[in-house]
Amino acid sequence: MKLSLLIFCLYFCLACNSDEDTYVPISEDKALDFPQPDFFPQPVYDLDENPPTEKGFELGKKLFYDGRLSSTGVISCGFCHIQEFSFTHHTHEVSHGVNGALGTRNAQPLVNLAYFNEFSWDGAAPHLDAFSIIPITTDVEMNETVTNVLNKLESDEEYIDLFSIAFENGKVNTQNMFRALSQFMVMMVSADTKYDKVLEGNAVFTEAEAAGKALFDSKCSGCHEGILFTDQSYRNNGLPIDPRYNDIGRKRVTGLETDKYKFKVPSLRNIAVSLPYMHDGRFKTLKEVLDFYDSGVQLTENLDSVFQQSNSIGISLSETEKEQLIAFLNTLTDDNFLLDRRFSEF
Amino acid sequence: MKKIITLIGFALLMSSCSNDGDTKNITISFENKIAGDRINLGTGNYQNTSNESYSIDELKYIISNIQLVKENGEVFTYPQDNSYFLINESEPESQIIVLNNVPAQDFQTLKFGIGIDQTNYPLNGVDNFVPTAEENQMLWSWSAGYIFFKIEGDFSIENESHQDNFLFHIGSHGTNLDNYKTVELSATQFDLDLTRKDLIAIETDISKLFNAVHDIRINDKSDIQVDPVNAPKIAENASQMFSLKPTHSTN
Ligand code: HEC
Ligand code: HEC
Repeated sequence: MKLSLLIFCLYFCLACNSDEDTYVPISEDKALDFPQPDFFPQPVYDLDENPPTEKGFELGKKLFYDGRLSSTGVISCGFCHIQEFSFTHHTHEVSHGVNGALGTRNAQPLVNLAYFNEFSWDGAAPHLDAFSIIPITTDVEMNETVTNVLNKLESDEEYIDLFSIAFENGKVNTQNMFRALSQFMVMMVSADTKYDKVLEGNAVFTEAEAAGKALFDSKCSGCHEGILFTDQSYRNNGLPIDPRYNDIGRKRVTGLETDKYKFKVPSLRNIAVSLPYMHDGRFKTLKEVLDFYDSGVQLTENLDSVFQQSNSIGISLSETEKEQLIAFLNTLTDDNFLLDRRFSEF
Repeated sequence: MKKIITLIGFALLMSSCSNDGDTKNITISFENKIAGDRINLGTGNYQNTSNESYSIDELKYIISNIQLVKENGEVFTYPQDNSYFLINESEPESQIIVLNNVPAQDFQTLKFGIGIDQTNYPLNGVDNFVPTAEENQMLWSWSAGYIFFKIEGDFSIENESHQDNFLFHIGSHGTNLDNYKTVELSATQFDLDLTRKDLIAIETDISKLFNAVHDIRINDKSDIQVDPVNAPKIAENASQMFSLKPTHSTN
């Protein structure tokens, strides 16, 4: 009688096969405080959905600096995104991937990503958790498959341990891998520049910086707007078309003629160190950028109306004004962020 | 005493079986057909209503977000994380999908999506579908997005011997262009009574791709991918391809 009951019970146990036996996390992991600056907007990234934790961050960092995410085993995310240069590929106009393969675009800085709603120069990725598919699978970047990367991680004890502590279901899978990378990247909040200190009342601009700020507010902040120095829109700022790439910009994503040659307005935080500039890294110095705005803007399709206000195209700037603007842009460098040990490879 | 404990244990186990009553594993089959016959990749030659003939080399689509609705409006949603399937004409195993622990009840409507719902992307486990999509070339690597529906082949205009390739890759990219479509199949002609059966058969009429809501002339644009005008038309037509077919009940 008892036996039959037991068998009956067992049968139901198996038949139900519900999620009752979900893994209960042992609290080896601690939540990380998201470093929200007082004067920033609320993050766009859903921190409740994927709350950064100590182990998740550690896992994300390990992944970020691991060359095994590429087919040749040597190109990590950190290879193209170097911390001291605000996570850009210093001195490389366009990115270099596996076996020296050339891309067509300049590696973007990774700063304040938690506040962005779309990613890449044309907004091709609608969510940070989906972004990593692009570099991993692009032939001129890491040229690998997500499946292969997972296989490599699954055969590594250290990764298995980290995944099992960092995530509730403990699995080495795509979602957890991308979430760990996001945890690492959303913590990259930079808001400790001279500019921020002035806002807080803890520093004062020099005369040149103050003059530069006034110029910036009147001529640049319509696009490089607010505390993030971008309104996150897509615009054509009139760069001459480079026939080597003939990059159509945002049109690649939307298919719309009206989006041709439009690129995401970049944030200018840490701009002094994230050279070279523009989506294809064509300018090496801020002076070159300003010379371009002053006299190089071209009337290409969909040129932003801001540049077509007077009878000349562009934003006319005197040499003094350029110096003042550069002085101001130099106040946007956050040395503590660029040297923050939490993000550094070693 | 022991008996009571066993009984309580038993009751607990019973209640952990979510719904009122039994669940079962069911199978949904997808048959890709044209004019009532299974399509033949590479060799089959078909006509559309725009006087073009075409053959198909590759045919794949993503089915997602499966739901079953009862007559009283009660909805059973298959667990989101496991609700992504890739139907590939060249892989017969992929055309039979198995759903575990579905309530064995009499349903009125079957609902599913073609592609990936933007509100879920890349949340709720859909990232875990990446390896499958990747192996089947259903990812746009440059955009981190899924290709929802893919068909490639050759076509020619009537009375012309010249053949050309055609290629439709339909998906959503960015947040502006959403080509995710939902399908609802009602148990009017054939029932969805899962108390009696555990197989649902679906026929996919591929010819509707070229004429359902919109008439598609392949020669007008034979390469449709990131295309805000034509891609939505193909997606709408694709949402009209599915119908329920009779299946035998098991008891
Ligand atoms: C071969 C160089 C290279 C590698 C390796 C690389 N990236 Fe990038 N990264 C780029 C380039 C170039 C862009 C700009 C892409 C575009 O606009 O198409 C970029 C853009 C980004 C952005 C978008 C930033 C923004 O503001 O929108 C993120 C996030 C990012 N990369 C993260 C990563 C991660 C994570 C990895 C590793 C999985 C990685 N990258 C590997 C070159 C690289
Ligand atoms: C109409 C909008 C608009 C205005 C006004 C504007 N910019 Fe830009 N800016 C952009 C866009 C868009 C880009 C990226 C273009 C590209 O790479 O194709 C950009 C790029 C830059 C870059 C390079 C950033 C990087 O990370 O590579 C700098 C520096 C810059 N702008 C500074 C300025 C300054 C200083 C002003 C005012 C004199 C200004 N911009 C005015 C839209 C604008």
